[in-house]
Amino acid sequence: MKIHEEMKGDVLKIRLSGKVIGGPELVELKETFQNAVNHDRLKVLLDLGGVTWMDSSGLGVIVSGHTTLSRADGEMKILNATKKIHELFIITKLITVFDTYTDEEEALQSFEE
Amino acid sequence: MEAVELRIPSSESFLEAVQVFVEKIGASFGVRGDETTSLSIAVLELVKNAMEHGNDMDPDKHVTITISRQPGRIDFQIVDTGTWQPEKEPGYEPGEGEKLFSSRGRGVLIARNLARWVEFDLDPNGKTRAKLVWPLV
Repeated sequence: MKIHEEMKGDVLKIRLSGKVIGGPELVELKETFQNAVNHDRLKVLLDLGGVTWMDSSGLGVIVSGHTTLSRADGEMKILNATKKIHELFIITKLITVFDTYTDEEEALQSFEE
Repeated sequence: MEAVELRIPSSESFLEAVQVFVEKIGASFGVRGDETTSLSIAVLELVKNAMEHGNDMDPDKHVTITISRQPGRIDFQIVDTGTWQPEKEPGYEPGEGEKLFSSRGRGVLIARNLARWVEFDLDPNGKTRAKLVWPLV
């Protein structure tokens, strides 16, 4: 898994790519969310478009990141969830927790609403 | 019937190899297209549970995965060295209420929704066995 961070105005876009399969990489992702809070970057857009494989471990870290941000009055939104990942969000009912987008501009705009 | 057995230490470092293996064996047994991804997700959820809850992530304890092709389906059996039975634990309500925000506890829910059938019992040696059935269309 690769993690790429990029500021889009006041929104931190975190793009994941590759397999989100567990182990030390998930610790790194968890730290990425914590670092966002530590640096007062409280609007996070998580781009999952490059993720080729993910299971409950990856979902767990994303939920953990959501909780970390929420406790700091921040928010996380999801961009470009693939069909498979979207299916996992539905199965686990996390689709009710996250705002999901397929258009980046729309997603960025939503943070201003 | 064709059958394959894979025995792996309880370590996350083996998960990607198992994922690739399951997808390749699934494809060779007739699972089509991106369904191989759903198959590997379902199986790995059970393998990770076996490593964690059955074997305490002890690399000296192994998880045995048996894959057999049956008419119209593939049967998977995942056996660890423990005696845990996940669905007999009280409060097992994955994805409900407060647990919706838990960072854990979704593995069986996902496996059961992706596969045709998932159940747990004890194997003839008294060890926890997860059984997963994957239909071949």
